[in-house]
Amino acid sequence: MKLDHSQPLEYSTGQNNLNIFGFWIFLGAEIMLFATLFTSYFTLEHRTGSGPTGAEIFEITPVLIETILLLTSSFVIGLGIHAMRLGKQKAMISFFAITLLLGLAFLGVEIYEFVHYVHIGAGLQTSAFTAILLTTLGTHGLHVTFGLFWGLAIILQVKKCGLTPETANKSFIFSLYWHFLDVVWIFIFSFIYLKGMM
Amino acid sequence: MKELFPVKQVMGFVFSLIFTAIALSVYFFDLSFAAGLTILIVTAFIQAILQLVVFMHAGETKDKWAIYGNVYFMIFIGLITIFGTLFLFIWDM
Repeated sequence: MKLDHSQPLEYSTGQNNLNIFGFWIFLGAEIMLFATLFTSYFTLEHRTGSGPTGAEIFEITPVLIETILLLTSSFVIGLGIHAMRLGKQKAMISFFAITLLLGLAFLGVEIYEFVHYVHIGAGLQTSAFTAILLTTLGTHGLHVTFGLFWGLAIILQVKKCGLTPETANKSFIFSLYWHFLDVVWIFIFSFIYLKGMM
Repeated sequence: MKELFPVKQVMGFVFSLIFTAIALSVYFFDLSFAAGLTILIVTAFIQAILQLVVFMHAGETKDKWAIYGNVYFMIFIGLITIFGTLFLFIWDM
């Protein structure tokens, strides 16, 4: 295997470069997935039937907490990748662990939010609006849940094998995924919640 | 300790918070729908680009143009899907 020492560890082999590029292609497909969910949301958001409207059920406090948690976690994993490039494995693992804890807290607030919606009569089957709302939020939440397990696996691998071209590559790709989830949340925050409460 | 917090990323985070606060203004102030939506579109896309460039390091390798090309193409197709659908089903044009 040819190592290129002029590049950070995660880019040091040809395979690593292809892995990272391949993941960007996957993120392109994810953009399209969420674009179709937003399409359905914008089409159905006023079809509330006898159910509640967005303005009636959205609450600013939990939404703002979720936003701050995810924004911060995205920043912290960025610091984790920076620490990885400095070769500081301990700092990197700490940053990754904080990222996952923030992600877990985000998920906790989102689960509370879902329970609250169902409790006040805005379940998956109430109206076209609540169905697409919960589907869009749920798809994002499912991605975060998957990311928590993925991130945990990454931490365990780095702990076991140290920082190698392979583990650095996997960690970097996971960071791309996590940042992407934050980008999706920014759009959910702006065009579902804030637009709905405007 | 200081080397673990690069200025570029700290500034990226600070600006993310600032733009989130600006977006929040549509909730706290009584703006017209068009003005509010304009603010949201601007702040959301600036924040997305901030993540892409500062945190995801999209432009740091020779694959830069392929990566940006792929992402912008998908955003373009995504927007066509969204607005094409709105034209047909909602705005009735």
